[in-house]
Amino acid sequence: MKKKPLSAFTQRDHRNLFGANARDGAGDPAASIPEAVQRCRWIAIDIGAAEFGLFFVSPSLERARLLSSFDSSFPRVSTAAKFISGQNGEALVKHTRVSTTPCWWADADTSAAAARFAAHEFVQRIDELVPGSPGIAFPVFADRGQCGLVVFLGHDIAIEAEQILDIHARCFWLFNAVSRLSVSHAEKAPTMSKRELECLKLTAKGHTSDSIATSLRISVHTANQYLTNSTQKLNAVNRMHAVAKAIKLGLID
Amino acid sequence: MSSAAVPIDPSASRARRLATRADLTGYLTALCQALGADSYMLVAILHDQRRSDVRIVASNWIYDATLLVGHHRIAMLAESAQAAALGFRPEPLVTRAAPAGLGGEDARILDILGHSEIYALRLNVGRQRYFLLLSSEEPGILDPHDVMRAQMRCCYALGQVPELLAATAQQDPLSDRERECLYWVSEGKTSDEIALILGVSGNTVNTYVNHAIQKFSASNRAEAVATAIRNGII
Repeated sequence: MKKKPLSAFTQRDHRNLFGANARDGAGDPAASIPEAVQRCRWIAIDIGAAEFGLFFVSPSLERARLLSSFDSSFPRVSTAAKFISGQNGEALVKHTRVSTTPCWWADADTSAAAARFAAHEFVQRIDELVPGSPGIAFPVFADRGQCGLVVFLGHDIAIEAEQILDIHARCFWLFNAVSRLSVSHAEKAPTMSKRELECLKLTAKGHTSDSIATSLRISVHTANQYLTNSTQKLNAVNRMHAVAKAIKLGLID
Repeated sequence: MSSAAVPIDPSASRARRLATRADLTGYLTALCQALGADSYMLVAILHDQRRSDVRIVASNWIYDATLLVGHHRIAMLAESAQAAALGFRPEPLVTRAAPAGLGGEDARILDILGHSEIYALRLNVGRQRYFLLLSSEEPGILDPHDVMRAQMRCCYALGQVPELLAATAQQDPLSDRERECLYWVSEGKTSDEIALILGVSGNTVNTYVNHAIQKFSASNRAEAVATAIRNGII
C-alpha cells in the first residue's frame, strides 16, 4: 500500500527546539550562509570553542574527502579547515559513513581537554585531526542523504554530559538548513509538467518507454519526448542521471 | 519527567557496551522506563520498487498488536511527515484525539492497543536510517526534550551493533565496488566512462552494475539507481 497523505502528519514543524539556547528567538531555518555561520558561532560560544567549521562528506567513494562549507574565518578559509579537508579527514569520513557518535582528539600536552572529553560515555577518541589543538567532531545527516561534520576546536572546550546531546541536535539542525541552502543555490528545482513527472516516476519504477506509453496511453515517441524534456530541464545527461537528480531534489519520491 | 533529572542512558558505564540482541532489547527497555514510555518499536524501511516494506529490528509490542496494526500502518507512522528528524522538535501523534487524516478506525485501534500517544523518531546511524516509535498509554507523559535526547542516544548506541542491524535490515546488500559503479551511473556516466574512472574494463563495470540490479531485484539501471538513493545507499 502506497503511503497516503495524512493531513494530521503534513504539518511539518520547522521550529528549532534549541532556538532559545541559540539566542535567536524565532528559530526559522537559517536563510543564508552568513546567518548559518552566526548560528554555528553561537554553538561554539556555548561550549567554549575557539574555532569551528562545517564540512560535507563528498558522496563519491573514490574521493573520500571532506568539503569545507564554511568555518570560523568565513568568508576566508582557516588553516584548520584546510587540514581537515586535506588528507587528515579520511578516517573521519569512514567513521561518519557508519556511525553518528561524536569523535574527539587531543595531543598529550593538553591533557585537561582530553580528560574532559574522555568523561563522556559515547564519544570516541580518534587520531589528532588538527595539530596543536584539541577538538570534537559531530557527524550530521540531512534529509536527502547528504552527510557531513560539524567540527569545533579549542583548548577550553567543555561540554557537560547531557549537554552534548543538545549540542549535537543543534548541529543536525544547522546542517539541515545549510544543505537545503546549497541545493537551492546550486540547482533550483525546475518546473516540470505533470506528464513529465509521471514519466520520470515510472522510469524510476523500472518501466521502459514502451511500458510507460502503454500505461499512460500515449505513443512511445511522446513518452520519449517527455523524458527528454525532463532530462534537459534537470540538466542531466541521461535518464539514470535524471532519476537520481529528481529524487535528490524531492520532485519524485 | 523533568528534562534535567535522570541520565537516560542505561549503559552508563563504559565497560557495558551493546553486543548482542539481548543487550539491544535491554537498552531499549531501560530507555523506555527512564522516559516513561510504555512501548518501543525499532524499524527499518526498505523501499521496494512498488511499496515500502517494514523490517522490525526490535519491539516490545504484543504480537497481536503488531498483527492488527499491520506493517503498512507502521510504515505510515514511521514515514509520516511528523516523524521527527534529528535536531527538530519531536511532535507526538495523539491517537486518542482521533487526528484527522489518520482515519478514525486506525487511530481507534492504536488507542485501544495502548498507543495513545506516539512519537515517531528518525534515527541516523551513519548513512543508514531507522525509525523508532515510542508510545505511551496516557498522552502527555513524555517530555519532548527528553524524547529528543533519547533519540540522539539511540543513534549513538545503535552504532555499536552494526552487524545486528544489518542482519535484520539488509539495507545495503551491495559490495563496495558495486556501490561505486552504481554511484557513477547515478551521476549519468556510461559504462565506458566508469571503466575509465575506475581503471577496469567496461565489461567488469557492466557485471558490477548487473549484480546491483539483481540484488535489488530491479528491472533496469534506472530502477536500481532509484532504489539505492531511496535507501540512502548512494
